[in-house]
Parts: sequence; C-alpha cells; structure tokens
Amino acid sequence: MSEAKKMSRNDKLRHDRLTFYKDDIDKIDKLLAEFLRLSGAKSALLIDKEGHLVTKRGEIKTIDIDTISALVAGSFAATKEMARLLGEEEFTAMYHQGERDNIQLGLVGDRTLLTILFDDRTTVGMVRLYANETAKKLADIFKSTMGRQHESPDLGADYGTNAKKSLDKLFD
Amino acid sequence: MVQINFALKEVNCKIVFYGPGMSGKTTNLEIVHEKAPEENKGELTSISTDGDRTLFFDFMPLDLGNVAGMRTKFQLYTVPGQVYYNSTRKLVLQGVDGVIFVADSDAEKMSENIESYQNLIENLQEYGKDIRELPHVIQYNKRDHANAMSVEDMDSQLNKFGVPTFEAVAYRGEGVFPTLKTLAGMVLESIDRMDRGGKRAPAAEPARATQKVGKPAAAPAPRVAAPASTQRPSSPKSAGSNRAAAAPSMATARPSARGKAPVAANPRPAAAPMRTSTAGKPALSQNRRQAQPVARVPARRASGGLALVITLSVLLVGAAAGVVYFFMGSNLS
Repeated sequence: MSEAKKMSRNDKLRHDRLTFYKDDIDKIDKLLAEFLRLSGAKSALLIDKEGHLVTKRGEIKTIDIDTISALVAGSFAATKEMARLLGEEEFTAMYHQGERDNIQLGLVGDRTLLTILFDDRTTVGMVRLYANETAKKLADIFKSTMGRQHESPDLGADYGTNAKKSLDKLFD
Repeated sequence: MVQINFALKEVNCKIVFYGPGMSGKTTNLEIVHEKAPEENKGELTSISTDGDRTLFFDFMPLDLGNVAGMRTKFQLYTVPGQVYYNSTRKLVLQGVDGVIFVADSDAEKMSENIESYQNLIENLQEYGKDIRELPHVIQYNKRDHANAMSVEDMDSQLNKFGVPTFEAVAYRGEGVFPTLKTLAGMVLESIDRMDRGGKRAPAAEPARATQKVGKPAAAPAPRVAAPASTQRPSSPKSAGSNRAAAAPSMATARPSARGKAPVAANPRPAAAPMRTSTAGKPALSQNRRQAQPVARVPARRASGGLALVITLSVLLVGAAAGVVYFFMGSNLS
C-alpha cells in the first residue's frame, strides 16, 4: 500500500472514531446534572449510536450499563429502520412506559443518544420538556468539539504492546 | 466505531460475529461467555425467538482490563443469520470495528456461506466501509461434520482477501478463543495505527503490502498467534488475496480440530443459555472510575531554553568579575 493510501486510511479511521476529552465530558456532566435537578428524573445516560456509554449521571448503581447501552442503541437503530420505511429519515425520540420506571430516548446531534430513566416522581411531559432543551445544549457542545475529533488521540506509546500482553493473558 | 473516552479512561470496540443461519455464531459467543474469566465478562443477552434463533442480536461485553491506563472493552455481537433478517443484520453492523465470519463447513452449506459473505460486503458498503480495510477473520466451524469440505476448498471459494482463517468445532469450544484473540489483536492494532496517525516509523505497520499469500516462506506467523502446533500457511490464493489490508498477517492459523465425528443436527449444547444469562455479573460498570485530567505534555520551546542559558552565562560572568574585583581591591588596600 502506498504512503498516500496509508495516510488516507488513517484519516478515515480518525474520522470514524469518537473521541471524548475530559473537558467536554465535564461540560456534559454539568448539563445532565442540571437536567436531572429540573426534571426530577432518576438518571441520565449519554450513549453513542454503537451502544457505548459516553457519560452518566444520577441513580444508576444497580443498572448493567453495558447491556442497557447496547439495547438502547439497538432499539433506536430499529426505529430508524421503521422511520425509513415510513419515509422519515429517523425518529428523534422514543418512549418506553413501565409500571414503575420509564425510559425516554432522544437523539443528540448525529451520533449520540440521551437516555433518561424516570419514575412516578415526575411526569413524561416534564422530562420531555427539559430533555429537548438539554439535547440542544448538548448538540452545541458536540458541534464545538467536532474539530477535535480529527486529531490523533494520545493513547500512549505503550498501548499496542500492552494490548498484546493483555490479550495473551485473557485468552491463553 | 472505536470510542475513546479520556474522561472514563476507556476504549470501546465493537466486534460482530457474522455468517449464515445455524453456522454457530451464537455458540461461539456462548463459549466465550462460559470460558472467559468472571471478572472480564458481563452478562450474555440474547434477543431470540422461542426456537432459540437469533432475532436481533446476542450481546456480551468482554473487558480486556487496563491497557496503558485505558480500560479496553470489546462489545461482542452476533447477527441473525437467516436471509430474511437482513435489515436487523445490517443494523448490528453499524459502527463495527471487526468481524468474525463464521462459516459452516458442511459442503451443502457452501452456497449459503458465499451468499452471506457477499451480504456482509454489501451491508458494509452501505455504511461506506470496504471489507478490505476492516479487520476480519474467517472461522470454518463444524469441522467435525461428516460432510465437511476440505479447508483448501473452503479457502478457495470463500477467503477472497486472504484473511486469517481458523478451523473450529465451536460447541466443543475448539477454535473459538484463537479466532477471537486474533481478531481482537487486529482491531487493537488498527487503533494503535490510528493513534500513531502516520507520525511514527512505519516499521510497526504489518508488512502485509509485500507479503505474497500462498508462499509460506514469506508468510510470518500471525501477530496474535494461535497455538503454534496448529498453524500453517494458507493455501495458494488468487491474485486479489494480497489486498487484505486490515490483516496483520496473511498466515492461516488453524486449531487442530480435524477429527471427523458424527454430527449433531444442531451444534449448540442442549443446556446452553439462550436467554439472558445470569452468570458473570458485569464487573465492568460499577462506579469504578473517577475522571482524571488529561495530562498533555507541552511542546519544548527552544527559545525558552536559549534564554535560560544566556541568563545563566551573564550571572556567571558577573559573579566571576565580582570575585576578581574583590581580590584586586583587597590587594590594593
């Protein structure tokens, strides 16, 4: 492969990945904490469309975050397909109602989902009202960080070597 | 796509088991879940029909642990293999970082294997991905089938891009971990390459561009090797096989699962958990991280260093002059 092609491939890899820096997560966490205070919801998770957690706030100690993130992303992807069949690009919000707990999902920007868990201490109307406001503010943060997505993340020179050692340890 | 989260100090990757219906994708995941250390695995969740056929996907998180200060996790998914579930299969592929294609070794299933592999290529294309640039490996499962094709024949019909291949009898656990380990290594290699961003010496780049698949002398062992006794070079390939851009090695690694025993119609173990497993409560997500500031080493400024040297020199000269003046004054008086 030529050097030019290698570079373009690296560029593509950098473009495809999602990188979150602590400064940005601090801003997001602050917004989510304010949202929880105003809406009365139990917890808020920000998840990327591939089902990886970005950050979380609220009462979430007993929840299996990895699994719920994967399922939320999966269900959202499924509704996107439904929307496409109806001629919509995608549905931007979803709501799951339970006897005690409920989930409100909303798209933030192009690549993340705001997942809100709430119970009967508040109402779906309150949650949606403040969720929409929060989603707009979060989208603004993502816009401002877009340029940084194309930088090379500094995982450290030892990452590759250590990763191989960890794989040996796990699989052998 | 890879998610790098410096606040949580996490790297997350998505790996998908792909292949035709009943080829053993879910069985692979069940074996990984069964055999992975407790502290490294989360729950196995299946969205399946009453007949234990995967409806949407199976999912389990696998935690590699702390790698150079970053907790590295793989999210493992399977897709529904049946032809008419293509829309959901495509959804699971979204943002994939690596694919394990599980092929059925039964000669009668080869057309389904080829169709499914072609379907993988097309579905990736819909996400703007070229399979030649995506880390992927092929597992020839059900090697114990009485009607199993030879590996050479499967290679020639299926392995268009000369990627690493593995023989497996998944329900017995044979070949499952070597397959996953190699693919995981390829995914991490791609992250490391992305991290380098072409800035470091290309020596660490896999020497794939110059390798000639099918010439054993030129084919090094896989970077993340399967048991040495089971490796062997891949069979001669077509001209297109040296395009396997994502493969760190063109060598074929195969576990020794050559025994040909009578085959069960369904290779899944009868007691295998198909719904959400309760084993292995996730040690992955329990309030474990405190965000740390991202330390960035500032670039060294040459001008600052030069100013420091000049300042020190002036001070030294001044001090020397002061000492000389002191002694001269003492002598004069």
